[in-house]
Amino acid sequence: MLRRVAAFQDRQAFQELFAHFAPRIKAYLVRGGTASQQAEDLAQEAMLAVWRKAAQFDSNRASAATWIFTIARNLRIDMHRRERHPRFDPADPFFMPDSPDPADSALQTRQREHQLRKAIQALPPDQFRIVMLSFFSEKPHSQIAAELDIPLGTVKSRIRLAMMRLKTLLGDES
Amino acid sequence: MTIRHHPKDSLRLAYVAGQMDPATALIMATHLSLCAQCRAAAADDECIGGALLEGAEPMPLRSDALARVMARLGAPEAIHRTEPSADGTPAPLRAFLGHELSCVRWRRLGPRLGYVTLYRRGSLAMRLLRGAPGTEVGQHTHRGTEYTVVLRGGYSDESGNYGPGDFQIASADLTHNPVADVGEDCINLAVTDGGLQFRSRVQNVVASLFGF
Repeated sequence: MLRRVAAFQDRQAFQELFAHFAPRIKAYLVRGGTASQQAEDLAQEAMLAVWRKAAQFDSNRASAATWIFTIARNLRIDMHRRERHPRFDPADPFFMPDSPDPADSALQTRQREHQLRKAIQALPPDQFRIVMLSFFSEKPHSQIAAELDIPLGTVKSRIRLAMMRLKTLLGDES
Repeated sequence: MTIRHHPKDSLRLAYVAGQMDPATALIMATHLSLCAQCRAAAADDECIGGALLEGAEPMPLRSDALARVMARLGAPEAIHRTEPSADGTPAPLRAFLGHELSCVRWRRLGPRLGYVTLYRRGSLAMRLLRGAPGTEVGQHTHRGTEYTVVLRGGYSDESGNYGPGDFQIASADLTHNPVADVGEDCINLAVTDGGLQFRSRVQNVVASLFGF
Protein backbone atom coordinates (compact mmCIF):
# COMPACT_ATOMS: atom_id res chain seq x y z
CA MET A 1 0.00 0.00 0.00
CA LEU A 2 2.83 2.32 0.92
CA ARG A 3 4.45 1.42 -2.39
CA ARG A 4 1.27 2.44 -4.20
CA VAL A 5 1.44 5.76 -2.39
CA ALA A 6 5.08 6.15 -3.39
CA ALA A 7 4.77 5.08 -7.02
CA PHE A 8 1.43 6.56 -8.00
CA GLN A 9 0.68 9.14 -5.31
CA ASP A 10 -2.38 6.98 -4.76
CA ARG A 11 -4.77 8.88 -2.46
CA GLN A 12 -7.03 5.86 -1.94
CA ALA A 13 -4.07 3.80 -0.72
CA PHE A 14 -3.04 6.68 1.52
CA GLN A 15 -6.50 6.78 3.12
CA GLU A 16 -6.22 3.09 3.94
CA LEU A 17 -2.76 3.66 5.43
CA PHE A 18 -4.16 6.54 7.45
CA ALA A 19 -7.04 4.47 8.79
CA HIS A 20 -4.61 1.79 9.94
CA PHE A 21 -1.64 3.77 11.21
CA ALA A 22 -2.86 7.18 12.41
CA PRO A 23 -4.75 5.74 15.44
CA ARG A 24 -1.72 3.56 16.26
CA ILE A 25 0.67 6.52 16.07
CA LYS A 26 -1.63 8.46 18.38
CA ALA A 27 -1.67 5.52 20.80
CA TYR A 28 2.14 5.23 20.62
CA LEU A 29 2.49 8.93 21.51
CA VAL A 30 -0.12 8.95 24.27
CA ARG A 31 1.34 5.84 25.91
CA GLY A 32 4.71 7.58 25.82
CA GLY A 33 3.36 10.50 27.82
CA THR A 34 2.40 12.99 25.08
CA ALA A 35 -0.77 14.96 25.85
CA SER A 36 -3.80 13.78 23.87
CA GLN A 37 -4.22 16.99 21.82
CA GLN A 38 -0.53 17.08 20.90
CA ALA A 39 -0.60 13.36 20.04
CA GLU A 40 -3.57 14.00 17.74
CA ASP A 41 -1.74 16.82 15.92
CA LEU A 42 1.49 14.86 15.74
CA ALA A 43 -0.26 11.76 14.37
CA GLN A 44 -1.65 13.94 11.56
CA GLU A 45 1.78 15.47 10.92
CA ALA A 46 3.33 12.01 10.88
CA MET A 47 0.86 10.82 8.23
CA LEU A 48 1.57 13.94 6.15
CA ALA A 49 5.28 13.09 6.41
CA VAL A 50 4.48 9.53 5.28
CA TRP A 51 2.88 10.99 2.16
CA ARG A 52 5.72 13.42 1.49
CA LYS A 53 8.52 10.94 2.11
CA ALA A 54 6.86 7.88 0.58
CA ALA A 55 9.46 7.76 -2.22
CA GLN A 56 12.15 7.14 0.43
CA PHE A 57 10.42 4.01 1.70
CA ASP A 58 12.45 0.94 0.78
CA SER A 59 10.70 -2.35 1.40
CA ASN A 60 14.07 -4.14 1.23
CA ARG A 61 15.09 -2.34 4.37
CA ALA A 62 12.00 -2.33 6.56
CA SER A 63 8.27 -2.98 6.71
CA ALA A 64 5.78 -0.11 6.49
CA ALA A 65 5.15 -0.32 10.26
CA THR A 66 8.86 -0.04 11.03
CA TRP A 67 9.37 2.86 8.63
CA ILE A 68 6.34 4.70 10.01
CA PHE A 69 7.60 4.06 13.55
CA THR A 70 10.85 5.90 12.68
CA ILE A 71 8.88 8.82 11.19
CA ALA A 72 6.68 9.17 14.29
CA ARG A 73 9.72 8.84 16.55
CA ASN A 74 11.63 11.55 14.66
CA LEU A 75 8.67 13.92 14.84
CA ARG A 76 8.38 13.29 18.56
CA ILE A 77 12.08 14.08 19.03
CA ASP A 78 11.76 17.27 16.95
CA MET A 79 8.76 18.40 18.96
CA HIS A 80 10.69 18.13 22.21
CA ARG A 81 13.95 19.60 21.04
CA ARG A 82 14.54 22.94 19.47
CA GLU A 83 18.14 21.94 18.72
CA ARG A 84 18.84 19.98 15.60
CA HIS A 85 18.92 16.32 16.47
CA PRO A 86 21.51 14.16 14.78
CA ARG A 87 20.35 11.02 13.09
CA PHE A 88 21.88 8.83 10.52
CA ASP A 89 20.49 8.21 7.07
CA PRO A 90 19.74 4.49 6.73
CA ALA A 91 20.09 4.86 2.96
CA ASP A 92 23.50 6.56 3.17
CA PRO A 93 25.36 4.98 0.22
CA PHE A 94 28.74 5.77 1.77
CA PHE A 95 28.62 3.61 4.82
CA MET A 96 31.93 2.15 5.86
CA PRO A 97 32.10 -0.74 5.36
CA ASP A 98 29.39 -1.16 2.73
CA SER A 99 26.16 -2.68 3.92
CA PRO A 100 25.45 -6.01 2.28
CA ASP A 101 23.69 -5.79 -1.05
CA PRO A 102 19.95 -5.90 -0.41
CA ALA A 103 19.33 -8.31 -3.29
CA ASP A 104 16.27 -10.39 -2.50
CA SER A 105 16.19 -8.96 1.01
CA ALA A 106 12.56 -7.80 0.97
CA LEU A 107 11.55 -11.36 1.74
CA GLN A 108 14.26 -11.69 4.38
CA THR A 109 13.14 -8.42 5.97
CA ARG A 110 9.55 -9.65 6.10
CA GLN A 111 10.57 -12.97 7.59
CA ARG A 112 12.77 -11.31 10.19
CA GLU A 113 10.03 -8.87 11.17
CA HIS A 114 7.57 -11.72 11.46
CA GLN A 115 9.98 -13.65 13.70
CA LEU A 116 10.65 -10.57 15.80
CA ARG A 117 6.96 -9.97 16.29
CA LYS A 118 6.44 -13.52 17.50
CA ALA A 119 9.52 -13.24 19.73
CA ILE A 120 8.25 -10.03 21.34
CA GLN A 121 4.90 -11.63 22.08
CA ALA A 122 6.70 -14.54 23.70
CA LEU A 123 8.56 -12.32 26.19
CA PRO A 124 7.67 -12.66 29.88
CA PRO A 125 5.30 -9.82 30.91
CA ASP A 126 7.81 -7.83 33.00
CA GLN A 127 10.34 -7.88 30.14
CA PHE A 128 7.67 -7.02 27.57
CA ARG A 129 6.58 -4.09 29.71
CA ILE A 130 10.09 -2.71 29.98
CA VAL A 131 10.77 -3.08 26.23
CA MET A 132 7.46 -1.37 25.51
CA LEU A 133 8.25 1.45 27.91
CA SER A 134 11.75 1.91 26.62
CA PHE A 135 10.41 2.28 23.08
CA PHE A 136 7.30 4.31 23.73
CA SER A 137 8.27 6.48 26.64
CA GLU A 138 9.96 9.81 26.15
CA LYS A 139 11.62 9.34 29.49
CA PRO A 140 15.12 8.11 30.19
CA HIS A 141 15.56 4.77 31.92
CA SER A 142 16.13 6.47 35.28
CA GLN A 143 12.61 7.93 35.22
CA ILE A 144 11.08 4.67 34.06
CA ALA A 145 12.73 3.06 37.09
CA ALA A 146 11.31 5.70 39.40
CA GLU A 147 7.79 5.28 38.01
CA LEU A 148 7.80 1.50 38.21
CA ASP A 149 9.38 1.83 41.65
CA ILE A 150 12.22 -0.53 40.80
CA PRO A 151 15.97 0.18 40.85
CA LEU A 152 17.62 1.53 37.68
CA GLY A 153 19.81 -1.58 37.65
CA THR A 154 16.68 -3.74 37.42
CA VAL A 155 15.39 -1.72 34.45
CA LYS A 156 18.72 -2.14 32.70
CA SER A 157 19.00 -5.84 33.49
CA ARG A 158 15.42 -6.51 32.32
CA ILE A 159 16.19 -4.74 29.06
CA ARG A 160 19.37 -6.74 28.71
CA LEU A 161 17.53 -9.99 29.44
CA ALA A 162 14.77 -9.10 26.99
CA MET A 163 17.28 -8.27 24.25
CA MET A 164 19.19 -11.51 24.89
CA ARG A 165 15.97 -13.45 24.76
CA LEU A 166 14.93 -11.80 21.50
CA LYS A 167 18.30 -12.65 20.01
CA THR A 168 17.98 -16.27 21.15
CA LEU A 169 14.47 -16.52 19.75
CA LEU A 170 15.78 -15.12 16.47
CA GLY A 171 18.55 -17.70 16.51
CA ASP A 172 21.40 -15.20 16.40
CA GLU A 173 24.82 -16.29 17.53
CA SER A 174 25.95 -13.05 19.14
CA MET B 1 38.60 -2.36 9.06
CA THR B 2 37.35 -4.63 11.81
CA ILE B 3 35.41 -2.96 14.58
CA ARG B 4 35.87 -4.75 17.88
CA HIS B 5 34.37 -2.33 20.38
CA HIS B 6 30.68 -1.55 20.20
CA PRO B 7 28.13 0.41 22.27
CA LYS B 8 26.00 -1.68 24.63
CA ASP B 9 22.56 -2.88 23.55
CA SER B 10 20.85 -0.53 26.01
CA LEU B 11 22.62 2.50 24.52
CA ARG B 12 21.72 1.51 20.96
CA LEU B 13 18.13 0.89 22.05
CA ALA B 14 17.89 4.34 23.65
CA TYR B 15 19.15 5.83 20.37
CA VAL B 16 16.64 3.91 18.28
CA ALA B 17 13.81 4.72 20.69
CA GLY B 18 14.71 8.41 20.45
CA GLN B 19 15.54 9.05 24.10
CA MET B 20 18.98 10.52 23.80
CA ASP B 21 20.56 13.92 24.18
CA PRO B 22 21.83 15.34 20.86
CA ALA B 23 25.52 14.79 21.71
CA THR B 24 25.18 11.10 22.56
CA ALA B 25 22.86 10.69 19.56
CA LEU B 26 25.56 12.14 17.29
CA ILE B 27 28.27 9.82 18.57
CA MET B 28 25.89 6.86 18.15
CA ALA B 29 24.93 7.95 14.62
CA THR B 30 28.63 8.33 13.79
CA HIS B 31 29.43 4.85 15.07
CA LEU B 32 26.48 3.42 13.10
CA SER B 33 27.83 5.03 9.93
CA LEU B 34 31.09 3.14 10.48
CA CYS B 35 29.80 -0.18 11.84
CA ALA B 36 27.74 -2.55 9.68
CA GLN B 37 27.17 -4.89 12.64
CA CYS B 38 25.54 -2.21 14.79
CA ARG B 39 23.55 -0.94 11.78
CA ALA B 40 22.05 -4.40 11.41
CA ALA B 41 21.31 -4.53 15.16
CA ALA B 42 19.74 -1.04 15.04
CA ALA B 43 17.58 -2.15 12.09
CA ASP B 44 16.35 -5.02 14.30
CA ASP B 45 15.64 -2.57 17.11
CA GLU B 46 13.58 -0.46 14.72
CA CYS B 47 11.67 -3.63 13.76
CA ILE B 48 10.79 -4.00 17.43
CA GLY B 49 9.51 -0.42 17.36
CA GLY B 50 7.50 -1.24 14.23
CA ALA B 51 6.06 -4.38 15.80
CA LEU B 52 5.06 -2.47 18.94
CA LEU B 53 3.45 0.24 16.80
CA GLU B 54 1.58 -2.39 14.80
CA GLY B 55 0.40 -4.04 18.01
CA ALA B 56 -0.63 -0.81 19.76
CA GLU B 57 -4.29 -0.53 20.73
CA PRO B 58 -5.62 2.02 18.18
CA MET B 59 -6.77 5.34 19.62
CA PRO B 60 -9.35 7.06 17.37
CA LEU B 61 -8.52 10.48 15.95
CA ARG B 62 -11.00 13.33 15.73
CA SER B 63 -13.64 12.73 13.08
CA ASP B 64 -12.29 15.45 10.77
CA ALA B 65 -8.65 14.30 11.03
CA LEU B 66 -8.53 12.44 7.73
CA ALA B 67 -10.22 15.29 5.84
CA ARG B 68 -7.79 17.80 7.31
CA VAL B 69 -4.78 15.73 6.29
CA MET B 70 -6.18 14.99 2.81
CA ALA B 71 -6.67 18.74 2.28
CA ARG B 72 -2.99 19.32 3.03
CA LEU B 73 -1.51 16.62 0.79
CA GLY B 74 0.92 18.37 -1.50
CA ALA B 75 3.58 17.16 -3.87
CA PRO B 76 5.73 14.38 -2.43
CA GLU B 77 9.40 15.15 -1.83
CA ALA B 78 12.05 13.95 -4.23
CA ILE B 79 14.31 11.24 -2.83
CA HIS B 80 16.94 12.78 -0.61
CA ARG B 81 20.43 11.45 -1.21
CA THR B 82 23.32 11.86 1.16
CA GLU B 83 26.21 13.43 -0.72
CA PRO B 84 29.55 11.60 -0.65
CA SER B 85 32.20 12.97 1.66
CA ALA B 86 35.50 14.01 0.06
CA ASP B 87 37.56 12.75 2.98
CA GLY B 88 35.41 9.99 4.43
CA THR B 89 33.80 12.05 7.20
CA PRO B 90 30.78 10.11 8.53
CA ALA B 91 27.62 11.82 7.22
CA PRO B 92 25.97 12.60 10.62
CA LEU B 93 29.16 14.26 11.88
CA ARG B 94 29.57 16.22 8.65
CA ALA B 95 25.96 17.41 8.88
CA PHE B 96 26.60 18.58 12.44
CA LEU B 97 29.90 20.32 11.61
CA GLY B 98 28.63 21.78 8.37
CA HIS B 99 31.87 20.72 6.68
CA GLU B 100 34.38 17.88 6.30
CA LEU B 101 36.70 16.73 9.05
CA SER B 102 39.72 18.05 7.11
CA CYS B 103 38.32 21.61 7.38
CA VAL B 104 38.18 21.58 11.20
CA ARG B 105 40.05 24.51 12.77
CA TRP B 106 41.78 22.89 15.69
CA ARG B 107 42.57 24.65 18.94
CA ARG B 108 45.93 23.68 20.35
CA LEU B 109 46.36 22.04 23.71
CA GLY B 110 50.14 21.83 23.85
CA PRO B 111 52.34 20.92 20.91
CA ARG B 112 50.86 17.52 20.17
CA LEU B 113 47.15 17.72 21.04
CA GLY B 114 44.30 19.56 19.34
CA TYR B 115 40.62 19.84 20.16
CA VAL B 116 37.38 21.57 19.26
CA THR B 117 34.35 21.71 21.54
CA LEU B 118 31.25 21.02 19.47
CA TYR B 119 28.55 21.02 22.11
CA ARG B 120 28.10 21.81 25.76
CA ARG B 121 25.03 21.47 27.92
CA GLY B 122 25.36 21.33 31.69
CA SER B 123 27.98 18.74 32.57
CA LEU B 124 27.83 17.22 29.08
CA ALA B 125 30.47 18.13 26.50
CA MET B 126 31.18 16.82 23.01
CA ARG B 127 34.59 17.36 21.45
CA LEU B 128 36.76 16.39 18.55
CA LEU B 129 40.23 15.44 19.78
CA ARG B 130 43.40 15.02 17.77
CA GLY B 131 46.69 13.56 18.96
CA ALA B 132 49.95 13.31 17.02
CA PRO B 133 51.34 9.76 16.71
CA GLY B 134 52.62 8.50 20.06
CA THR B 135 50.98 11.27 22.13
CA GLU B 136 50.08 10.30 25.69
CA VAL B 137 46.98 11.89 27.18
CA GLY B 138 48.12 11.15 30.75
CA GLN B 139 46.64 8.95 33.48
CA HIS B 140 43.09 9.99 34.21
CA THR B 141 39.73 8.73 35.33
CA HIS B 142 36.20 10.05 34.70
CA ARG B 143 33.72 11.81 36.94
CA GLY B 144 30.92 10.46 34.78
CA THR B 145 30.64 8.43 31.59
CA GLU B 146 32.74 9.11 28.54
CA TYR B 147 31.98 7.75 25.07
CA THR B 148 34.67 7.85 22.39
CA VAL B 149 34.51 6.83 18.76
CA VAL B 150 37.70 6.70 16.69
CA LEU B 151 37.52 8.54 13.36
CA ARG B 152 41.15 8.30 12.15
CA GLY B 153 44.22 6.45 13.32
CA GLY B 154 43.94 4.69 16.65
CA TYR B 155 44.97 4.58 20.30
CA SER B 156 45.73 2.06 22.98
CA ASP B 157 45.13 2.08 26.70
CA GLU B 158 45.01 -0.34 29.63
CA SER B 159 41.78 -1.84 28.28
CA GLY B 160 42.83 -2.51 24.69
CA ASN B 161 43.46 -1.09 21.25
CA TYR B 162 40.95 1.13 19.46
CA GLY B 163 40.90 1.73 15.71
CA PRO B 164 38.60 3.54 13.26
CA GLY B 165 34.94 3.03 14.15
CA ASP B 166 35.64 1.52 17.58
CA PHE B 167 33.44 2.77 20.41
CA GLN B 168 34.87 3.01 23.93
CA ILE B 169 32.78 3.42 27.06
CA ALA B 170 34.83 4.73 29.97
CA SER B 171 33.48 5.53 33.42
CA ALA B 172 34.67 6.16 36.95
CA ASP B 173 35.91 2.59 37.27
CA LEU B 174 38.42 2.99 34.43
CA THR B 175 41.71 4.79 34.98
CA HIS B 176 43.60 4.93 31.72
CA ASN B 177 46.34 6.62 29.79
CA PRO B 178 45.38 6.57 26.11
CA VAL B 179 48.38 6.68 23.77
CA ALA B 180 47.92 7.54 20.09
CA ASP B 181 49.18 4.77 17.81
CA VAL B 182 52.21 5.42 15.64
CA GLY B 183 51.64 6.19 11.97
CA GLU B 184 49.01 8.88 11.56
CA ASP B 185 47.25 11.40 13.80
CA CYS B 186 44.52 9.90 15.92
CA ILE B 187 41.21 11.78 15.64
CA ASN B 188 38.34 10.93 17.98
CA LEU B 189 34.86 12.19 18.71
CA ALA B 190 34.17 12.10 22.45
CA VAL B 191 31.16 12.83 24.64
CA THR B 192 32.00 13.38 28.29
CA ASP B 193 29.51 13.74 31.11
CA GLY B 194 31.19 15.20 34.17
CA GLY B 195 34.74 15.79 33.03
CA LEU B 196 38.10 14.14 33.56
CA GLN B 197 40.18 13.68 36.69
CA PHE B 198 43.92 13.53 35.98
CA ARG B 199 46.46 11.96 38.26
CA SER B 200 48.91 14.82 37.61
CA ARG B 201 47.99 18.02 39.47
CA VAL B 202 49.43 20.18 36.67
CA GLN B 203 47.31 18.40 34.09
CA ASN B 204 44.22 18.89 36.25
CA VAL B 205 44.87 22.63 36.33
CA VAL B 206 45.41 22.71 32.56
CA ALA B 207 42.31 20.57 31.98
CA SER B 208 40.09 22.82 34.10
CA LEU B 209 41.49 25.93 32.37
CA PHE B 210 40.46 24.49 29.05
CA GLY B 211 37.11 23.37 30.39
CA PHE B 212 37.74 19.61 30.23
